[in-house]
Amino acid sequence: MNQQIYSGKLLQRSHLSADTIELAISRPRQFTFQPGQRIRLLDRFQERDYSLVNAPADRSLRLCIRLVPKGRFSTKLRAAAIGSCFEFTGPHGHFVLRPSGRPAVFVATGTGAAPFASMARAGERGFTMLHGVRSAEGLLYSDLFRTAAGAYVACISGKTSPAARMFGGRVTAYMEQKLAPGVYDFYLCGRSDMVRDVIWLIDERFPNSRVYTEIFF
Amino acid sequence: MKIYTGGGDRGKTGLFSGERVAKCNLQVETYGDVDELNSTLGSLSAALPEGWTDIDGQLRLVQADLFHIGAWLAITPAARTNATLEEFTAERVLFLEKTIDAMEEQLPALSAFILPGGHASAAAAHVSRAVCRRAERRVVALMEQSDAKKLPASWQQLLRYLNRLSDYLFVLARFCNHRTGVEEPLWKP
Ligand SMILES: Cc1cc2nc3c(=O)[nH]c(=O)nc-3n(C[C@H](O)[C@H](O)[C@H](O)COP(=O)(O)OP(=O)(O)OC[C@H]3O[C@@H](n4cnc5c(N)ncnc54)[C@H](O)[C@@H]3O)c2cc1C
Repeated sequence: MNQQIYSGKLLQRSHLSADTIELAISRPRQFTFQPGQRIRLLDRFQERDYSLVNAPADRSLRLCIRLVPKGRFSTKLRAAAIGSCFEFTGPHGHFVLRPSGRPAVFVATGTGAAPFASMARAGERGFTMLHGVRSAEGLLYSDLFRTAAGAYVACISGKTSPAARMFGGRVTAYMEQKLAPGVYDFYLCGRSDMVRDVIWLIDERFPNSRVYTEIFF
Repeated sequence: MKIYTGGGDRGKTGLFSGERVAKCNLQVETYGDVDELNSTLGSLSAALPEGWTDIDGQLRLVQADLFHIGAWLAITPAARTNATLEEFTAERVLFLEKTIDAMEEQLPALSAFILPGGHASAAAAHVSRAVCRRAERRVVALMEQSDAKKLPASWQQLLRYLNRLSDYLFVLARFCNHRTGVEEPLWKP
């Protein structure tokens, strides 16, 4: 575990959607990471993990943060003053690409798209990206994914009817109905119930595939 | 952080290198034994007399090593390198050897076979030693069924480590009896 404590300044905050923000934090000179890894933000009382969404070579570190209603930490991040300092440790985690001859399928729910954004920004191309959200408003980094992915599928699970070229239903429904049988490298990131359902589906329908997971909550 | 997903409710689990395997798979059994060993070290540590911070500190280092070993054992040799996992190196074996030597210096020579037992901490160390031997046997079985050319260097080192760890635990058991003044139970055939 990388326990060294770094400090970074909050440079910028922007809204990616009504309930998701992106923070830019100055990058300590010695800090390096691999796309897919995360940092742990510390304050006096608690700590929270956030995946980096920037490419390793970028000058600032970027985080994509869902504003959880009454969320203890995310609420503070929403209000933190530009210029204030954050302490963090990292990089943490093993959710990184492991190149192989098999096609890569990225499956995310909500902010679970974050590690994949970093991979795409670092130059990864040709993957299949399934992004599960309740409504199209929740899609993050769609321009990036549209450019980088071989196939980018927005899976809209809410009641609103999906726009053209989007899939109406959960990511699991897409995988059952549309993903060609085969052996893949699956990278799953986001809610634990999505991860569980997708793993069951993989065991049933895509045997011999590899599965790598990162669970946010 | 949520610790359960239910992904494993149907008898399969995921290896660190991504494969989905049955929970009775040899590789899973092997890191399961290492996990069991690690847990017995927790009991051993809880059985140490008050104030034995030196031994407690050693056990914590060993527990961290076993965590690291468990991660390596959850990677299939075919997956070869792992970009984010630190190598398990011979330096950890040296650490055990130095620790064994330092304890042995303080012990009387062995004159007969000893039975596992004595002070609660010594008895616990013997349990750990036996579990450690089982873990080692499983690692050997795992290596035998793997392609020798593909074995990661870390596997070779962790096998050496487990072998040395059993020796460490044997010496530690004796040391616990010695330091607490409890007589070593001797085998009387
Ligand atoms: C490995 C890892 C990586 C993570 N990466 C990210 C990331 O890149 N971006 C991010 O926004 N969060 C990420 N998280 C979640 C993050 O660490 C916090 O849990 C989250 O910000 C909520 O903290 P809080 O104190 O505001 O909420 P709390 O008061 O702790 O409330 C927790 C509740 O918030 C909800 N929740 C937590 N995270 C999310 C989320 N991402 N989207 C929707 N609801 C959520 C869940 O219902 C959870 O039970 C990650 C978590 C882990 C374990």
